[in-house]
Amino acid sequence: MKPTERFKRRYISFSLSLSDKPPAYNEAKEIVHSHFLSFFGESGVSSLAFKLVKYDAISGRGILRCERSRTDEAIFCMACLAGWKGAIARIKPLSTSGTIKRL
Amino acid sequence: MVDIVLFQGLETSAAEGKIFSGSLSNFFSAPDARAAKPLCRKKGILLHVSSCEIDEGDLLELARAGGALVFSLSDILSESGFRRAILLSKMRLALAACRKRGTSFVFATLAKDANELRSAREISAFAAVLGMSDVERKGAEKKLLSLTGGKVGK
Repeated sequence: MKPTERFKRRYISFSLSLSDKPPAYNEAKEIVHSHFLSFFGESGVSSLAFKLVKYDAISGRGILRCERSRTDEAIFCMACLAGWKGAIARIKPLSTSGTIKRL
Repeated sequence: MVDIVLFQGLETSAAEGKIFSGSLSNFFSAPDARAAKPLCRKKGILLHVSSCEIDEGDLLELARAGGALVFSLSDILSESGFRRAILLSKMRLALAACRKRGTSFVFATLAKDANELRSAREISAFAAVLGMSDVERKGAEKKLLSLTGGKVGK
């Protein structure tokens, strides 16, 4: 695909905590994926070009990708997470960038 | 960025930029449009309606009195699923009504505890999702600062 035809990306670094502790990778993946799916729906997640790029279970920090024009929606979605299976959960956006290297 | 919270006892570092609603004499919260009606004529108030339903006539009164409607992020956090979607729709409709009547609007977390606190970036994203433009967002921040009289926690 030509570079001009590709969708434009934004990468958002975030910090994830579950009861004030960083969850394991599989649990973090489940939290992020299901939260975005319930917020945006199947079609919305597709158009958002959402992807969990990286996650470090020790620090609780990760990077996710979204479409450039929908960064605010992605950040708002992250802000809307208050709990997960009865525990206090929080996805805190740290910074955004067009490349992973700059995060 | 200034934010209004509904609780006290924040640590010094976290309290920066936060105002406790109890310290504001012009902050009022109403559960519905009927309760909000008599408040709209008070001068220079910050009015929060939990149901996000308010008559356009009352918005006009609020505009004439120099007040502002508060959009709260904690209302969204306390709901989930379809109810959250309905509340977002009501907020969008209220925002459109504010624009139509020339009423000022501001946005805040109105956090009831430390877990509901959100950063300035997230509050800004909330405003963008509701449909505010960059100019409107900046205007809302200035309005909030002017109506709170600079009583920001340090």
